Amino acid sequence: MSAATGTALFLSDENLGNLVAEIIAAGRRLVAPARDPQAAVGGSADYRYISSAAELAFGDSLPRMSLKGFFLPQSEVLFKWHRKGADVEIEAVPTEFPPQIVLGARPCDTAALEIVDQVMDWGLRDELWFGRRNATTIFNLSCPVEDASCFCHAVDLNPDATRAADGMLTPVPGGYLVESCTEKGAALVEGHKALFESGDTGAAAERSAAAAQYRAAARAKVAADLQIDTTRIKEWVGDHFDDEFWTALGPRCNGCAACASVCPTCHCFDIVDEPEGVGHGARRRNWDTCQTGVFTLHASGHNPRADQNSRFRQRVNHKFFIYPSRFGEVLCTGCGRCSRVCPEGQDLAEVLACIDELARA
Amino acid sequence: MAATDTPMKPDGFHPRITAFVCNWCTYTGADLAGTSRLQMASNVRIIRLPCTGRIDHMFIVKAFERGADGVIVSGCHPADCHYTAGNYHARRRFGVFRELMDFMGIDPQRVTFSWVSASEGAKWKDVVNETVARVAELGPFDAYHELAGDTVTGGEPAPGPFEAASGAETPDPLEELEVGR
Amino acid sequence: MKELRDLTRKLLADGDAGVVIGWEEGRRGARPAFITTPDDADKLIFDARCVHNLANYLNPRKPQVKALGKPAVVVKGCDAKAVAGLLREAQLTRDRVILIGVRCGGVVQTPEMPAELTEATVATRCYGCDVREPKLVDHLVGDARPEPPVTAALDRRIAELDALSPRERWQFWTSQLAKCTRCHACRQACPLCHCERCITDKTQPQWIESSSHLRGNFAWHLTRAQHLAGRCVGCGECERACPVGIPLSLINRKLQLVVKDLFDYTVTDDPEVPAPIGAYAVDDKQEFIE
Repeated sequence: MSAATGTALFLSDENLGNLVAEIIAAGRRLVAPARDPQAAVGGSADYRYISSAAELAFGDSLPRMSLKGFFLPQSEVLFKWHRKGADVEIEAVPTEFPPQIVLGARPCDTAALEIVDQVMDWGLRDELWFGRRNATTIFNLSCPVEDASCFCHAVDLNPDATRAADGMLTPVPGGYLVESCTEKGAALVEGHKALFESGDTGAAAERSAAAAQYRAAARAKVAADLQIDTTRIKEWVGDHFDDEFWTALGPRCNGCAACASVCPTCHCFDIVDEPEGVGHGARRRNWDTCQTGVFTLHASGHNPRADQNSRFRQRVNHKFFIYPSRFGEVLCTGCGRCSRVCPEGQDLAEVLACIDELARA
Repeated sequence: MAATDTPMKPDGFHPRITAFVCNWCTYTGADLAGTSRLQMASNVRIIRLPCTGRIDHMFIVKAFERGADGVIVSGCHPADCHYTAGNYHARRRFGVFRELMDFMGIDPQRVTFSWVSASEGAKWKDVVNETVARVAELGPFDAYHELAGDTVTGGEPAPGPFEAASGAETPDPLEELEVGR
Repeated sequence: MKELRDLTRKLLADGDAGVVIGWEEGRRGARPAFITTPDDADKLIFDARCVHNLANYLNPRKPQVKALGKPAVVVKGCDAKAVAGLLREAQLTRDRVILIGVRCGGVVQTPEMPAELTEATVATRCYGCDVREPKLVDHLVGDARPEPPVTAALDRRIAELDALSPRERWQFWTSQLAKCTRCHACRQACPLCHCERCITDKTQPQWIESSSHLRGNFAWHLTRAQHLAGRCVGCGECERACPVGIPLSLINRKLQLVVKDLFDYTVTDDPEVPAPIGAYAVDDKQEFIE
């Protein structure tokens, strides 16, 4: 993925605050990495709706959860029903959403949206997903790279990728270099152009150099870790469904599925009907995951994925064989969240390295 | 059962109380209260179960979910259980659950636990009236009823379309039953 | 360490155990290890980063672990309490498991932290630990370790919450439970959550809504806590597994204190002592009953 190509403008730290204030004053919803104002202790940032620039936590570590909840909420209403005598009245949900802006998304989270777009428009277009996608303008934050669990470079991304983004902010001394890469992004900049300093001042060259250095350092940092070939992995995974390799991975996994919760690309959901009282209720879809036993449990009691070995294999299969077979790219952006969140130390990067090793042999 | 319409507050709030009672003592006691024509608040809907030992904490949670403002759990006095020890087990579980509710911010005053024997029609009347009065004072339990109106992502309201509106009205379930037929 | 590795080699070589479950070095700190051949015994480690409660792997509903053969599990004192829980609840028979006790001087909060125990890094569960040397074991290894620094942070926080009004507590818990995605990592990480079919996975009837709105989340967390009352060993694995950082240990610890107060019961590593819920005393406290 190439970096943003629009003309770079400068947004000072102070004007970032002003930009946030203007966006909120204009009545638009703003999502950014921010700390939980109610948390007793610090903790890391999450993507949240914010109401002031003071909440911004761009400097924090990678947000704990990915951005997907703002497009596929963990629980959302598909429609409501009301019984009217012998009839049932269906109340549809709107698929148009008020505009929202994301500032400071990590490139791996933003790129994930476009990867998931494919399955959301596969035969049937998911209007709720695309309604939110279309209503959202996303400005990435060029990523400093979190730690050794990051591997975006190994799945065709980069810490300064702008895939699916409308623009990008790159930290430079005193503020951010801002590039827009879509019309939506340009419109956002245009709407607040008094806050942006143009690129022709004397300091501009220095800032460009600082930005280039920042990005190069991040790329070098992430590239130092995992060296794999996803094509090779796809072939091996496709050919080794019953390999003993999988039985070595399952025991450690306790099936907690925290990996799927935090994953920017895991998008499976369950659909449930919930009564809200007598004669009326809602159909909802909720996040679901192949890491749990009930995900594949048949009504008969038979479970085709009867143990955690087969469930973990499914996770790797879906991401690195099934999805690329169907849509031409892996269902993973290398954010490393699954490795960080796993209470038992299961490490996807390590698993991929092992598979790559096996595939090479 | 004899009933009086008791507006417990000037604003006319009638709390909805769900009572989970055991078949052998409290249900019979409540029956006695009725046949004795004792006057009491009509806000309580009774659900009869074999024993307090059969009453799960989820019953209380479900009652709150579905619109109850208060709950009564009542059964046989200690040593009187039809099944010997059901009420002793219930006493342990609800002793813990009451503390748990309190810790989670659910005011335990919304839940009355009582022993009412088959001969204590008058005590049942008092339990009902006191519970209704106490819950009326606390007001509707909208905080619980509207919980699903607050679906969130990352700690903030999610962009879901119904989130703000749902749960705002809780019509009388009995009226809705009519609609359903 | 040598003692542990030698014992592991012997157990596997003699065929007494099919797998030794202990800890190894992972890319992000210590992590569970499944040693099935004597040659791998040297992978095993034990230090203050070995926070995982390996009793979780003795849950009979884990076919992938069962398939490895008879397990020998390395247990700290607190882990032994969880094993006792499984024995007490007939999920395990004593002859089906080999328990290798390690003398423990406390653990840090997460396996990624350096193995240095300070008041800031020590796990809250180590406060008041009464089983530095596990009793429920077949083998005991390691030297006695010094007492860890003490932190009563959890109890202090509970006291703070207790001092709030119900409304303020409600606000605190709604803000916390709002984050819950209902992945049920807390359940999976819990060594005592061993039901064949969890109540939250049941749909007929559906007592607990699977939706992650606050109504479903309250029903779940109230039930999880209630079902663990008097059973929870306080290992804190649920809180550590939670991907959104809900302070579940506050609830668990609160109920430990409640159970202590109401029934004078403290969770023990003696499987013969019955759990307080499921037992009763004729003269139990009943001030709350009218």
